[in-house]
Amino acid sequence: MTPADMALVLCGTVALYAGVRVALEPDTLRKLPFLNVLSFAITGLIALLLPHPLGIVAAAAYFVGSTLESNAIASTYAGGLDRG
Amino acid sequence: MDTVLLTTVHILVAAAVCWLNFITIDMFFKLPEKGGVVGATAIALHIEAGGGSLEGGTMMGNIVSSPDASAGTLLAACGVFIAGIPGGLLAALLVFIGNRICHDRGYAGTTGCLTATFLIYGFTLAGFSAAEFIAGMVIAILSIQGISHVYASRLLSTIWKVRWG
Repeated sequence: MTPADMALVLCGTVALYAGVRVALEPDTLRKLPFLNVLSFAITGLIALLLPHPLGIVAAAAYFVGSTLESNAIASTYAGGLDRG
Repeated sequence: MDTVLLTTVHILVAAAVCWLNFITIDMFFKLPEKGGVVGATAIALHIEAGGGSLEGGTMMGNIVSSPDASAGTLLAACGVFIAGIPGGLLAALLVFIGNRICHDRGYAGTTGCLTATFLIYGFTLAGFSAAEFIAGMVIAILSIQGISHVYASRLLSTIWKVRWG
């Protein structure tokens, strides 16, 4: 088993665990840190599975996109959006 | 030594290095001081309401809301895994752009990515694989954001108070 294989297994396991925690957490805003862990694990999986220069861009694009979504969910939930 | 055992030890060492790198840089850039966006503050208040600590919760909220040094460390590991130091530098540029997209005017993410790039490259010269750092960073973020928000936020607050009195 190569280091990359072990990293793949570990990232996959953490992603599954974080997914379960997101589903079980009742408080919407407290789901977001678990979702953050899920994004980290999936970003790791993307880089490990796509060892190509554009894989870095794909991993970063996925991560920034998911962070922006969490940011938007949290800010909207907190009443940060002025609906006029 | 058995390869699996050696890789496990390497991943644990990598997790400790990644943890120290992102906590040091986030504390240096004062992430626990205030929420960068209104959502980060809201997450901090919910963590505090659940029995956690406000400063630590604020830092966790900031980590969720914009790519910080932890994201920088992960993407640096991904970059170094794929393309060595140039990959890490490309990741730093992408983190910089990501910060701007997320309305974060700070430089914690970019700085964390640059320090992690050279740190991880140094460890690859000592027989580590960058893939081990990807796994290590996933464990490091799991320890803060994914196990207990109450204890993680208290730990971060304690470090913050030691750092800034």
